[in-house]
Amino acid sequence: MFAQATEQRPPAHRYLDVVGAAKSFKGTVVMDNMNFRVAKGELVSLLGPSGCGKTTLLRIIAGLLEADTGDIILGGRNVSSLPAHKRNISVVFQNYALFPHLTVAENVAFGLRARGMSKSDVKAPVAEALALVRMDTFADRPVSALSGGQQQRVAVARALVVSPDLLLLDEPFSALDRKLRETMQIELKALLRSRGITAIFVTHDQEEAMGVSDRIAVMNSGRIEQFADPSTLYAQPASPFVMDFVGLSTRLTGHVIAQADGIATVKTHVGKVRANSQLVVGTPVQVGVRPELITPDPSTEMNQIKVQLDDVMTLGSKTVLHGVTTGADKFLCELPGIRTGYARGETVTWGWAVADTLIHEVPA
Amino acid sequence: MIARSNRIALLAVPGLAFLAIIYALPLVMLLFKSIQGAEGLTLVTYIDFFRDEFNQTVLWRTLRVALLTTLLALVIAYPTAFAMARAKGIWLTVFMVALVLPMSLGVIVKAFAWSILFRSNGFLNTTLQAIGMTDGPVRMLFTETALIVGAANVFLPFMVLPIYSVLRQLNSSLPEAASSLGATPWFRFTRVTLPLSLPGVVAGSAFTFSLAISMYVIPSLIVGERQQTLSMLIARSFLYLRNEPLGSTISAVLLAIAIFVVLFSSWLAGRLGARQ
Ligand SMILES: Nc1ncnc2c1ncn2[C@@H]1O[C@H](COP(=O)(O)OP(=O)(O)O)[C@@H](O)[C@H]1O
Ligand SMILES: [Mg+2]
Repeated sequence: MFAQATEQRPPAHRYLDVVGAAKSFKGTVVMDNMNFRVAKGELVSLLGPSGCGKTTLLRIIAGLLEADTGDIILGGRNVSSLPAHKRNISVVFQNYALFPHLTVAENVAFGLRARGMSKSDVKAPVAEALALVRMDTFADRPVSALSGGQQQRVAVARALVVSPDLLLLDEPFSALDRKLRETMQIELKALLRSRGITAIFVTHDQEEAMGVSDRIAVMNSGRIEQFADPSTLYAQPASPFVMDFVGLSTRLTGHVIAQADGIATVKTHVGKVRANSQLVVGTPVQVGVRPELITPDPSTEMNQIKVQLDDVMTLGSKTVLHGVTTGADKFLCELPGIRTGYARGETVTWGWAVADTLIHEVPA
Repeated sequence: MIARSNRIALLAVPGLAFLAIIYALPLVMLLFKSIQGAEGLTLVTYIDFFRDEFNQTVLWRTLRVALLTTLLALVIAYPTAFAMARAKGIWLTVFMVALVLPMSLGVIVKAFAWSILFRSNGFLNTTLQAIGMTDGPVRMLFTETALIVGAANVFLPFMVLPIYSVLRQLNSSLPEAASSLGATPWFRFTRVTLPLSLPGVVAGSAFTFSLAISMYVIPSLIVGERQQTLSMLIARSFLYLRNEPLGSTISAVLLAIAIFVVLFSSWLAGRLGARQ
């Protein structure tokens, strides 16, 4: 069955609990009745397009922005009325926000010094934190002399050295190039896991979200559309928005023309498509399918579609076939490895299992 | 590339020529007079100048007044610049107008306005007596304090604007990062905002000090002949005493101080910048 609730796996432990948070800027509602829970030790991502309110939610949790209404409960303590410096929530900012007038070690020491520790007392924990992110040899450098990846490591060390109750990271990888980004994602995830840190990543990159987090909250214009683990999000997207935002898919619109034994038959402008669904006859729907679930040699019981091959992309680890229907809909068929024997322009029949059809009711 | 930047550098020629003809040339001629003795070059006017006790008093007073003016302006300007950097829309406009408009008023109008405030039966004295702070009128006009207060008032925009522009450009996530790391507002200010705004403080202080050390109209109007400053001494040497070597000598001393301030402040700004 397709999920109706936005939360498939409620954590036993409500470590962070955002209750009914709302925020407007000059009358423009950015967030309205936001509810969001994270368990202790969980790595969670806020995933959504630019401007959907991810940073706003992060800033509200951190205490850098005051919500109009709602409560923030952290570890059973209501921190809503506490200023940022009393919440013990560390933030890694999008541009890292390292203090330009301080050295690497002084940056990392900042939070401990702010907590009243003496210069000599901070030495050991700062050295340990720098070693943790493999920046110990840079301790006395000015931060302006660091590369993007190094700056990020320092920002992480600075945020972790104070043993925060919660770590918030706002698009921490967006300033890094692709290769470095993947390395840093793996490193950071391992580091947070090993220390049992509860962390919330903000990102607009679905691959990044799926890579670094236990659960992903997909946000759309100030609301959480679905909050689930990566495989559930991908296989059972709760809405057309989630289906679209998480992973590639091809969509067709139509309406249910038959309903039998939990299988709905949908009439689209390029033929009939069947899906596992209880939706009744007449319901306007959107159907879709993931590219890797499409086969170029369909069996008779599959959904079938005629396409003309438009392009063949050999990407090494996979081959992507681009097909165009008579209705100009673009379909992708992703096959593992290098495939030959496909020629542009030929007309072929593709198919996919009925159970693999993603179906959502849409406004008529 | 080089040819192109050279051609762009040509754009500076009119400005440089203007400065050379209108400013540098007469200045050099003037300064030359200070070392031009009856038979060849001499430093005797300098030795005489620094030996004279009255001149020493005036020199120290000028330095003291300039320093205190700079400090007073800084103390008033910093919070103002801080508030302005946070201000938006109409409030920012109000601040700017309030800051810049008095500059167009001219010092003379201001000085007369102050005399209303400071004189023995003026507003300040009547108020002080009314609330019982003093028994009789306090002498305010023609004092060094009045001069410092007046000068700081006139030069305030030159202190506020550089600090404002630095604070305005300060990456707002830096104080936020400090807060999220547990810094109280005071810790955040002293360890992040203040150090990062020092280049603005240095620039504003250099402006204000340079203006205060060479001011002529303000002391003439506020303290008159009682408490002379170097500029007034220069004017007196040229206009009344007709002693051109003396006037040139004092000018050279003043210029040396100004050059020192400029070099020192750019060195300081460079050092602060290098750390960032
Ligand atoms: N300080 C602010 N004033 C006015 N509007 C804001 C402010 N901060 C954010 N917004 C608006 O709120 C919405 C959400 O912003 P944000 O949380 O930064 O989105 P995201 O981080 O998901 O890209 C955007 O439409 C943005 O324009
Ligand atoms: Mg954002």
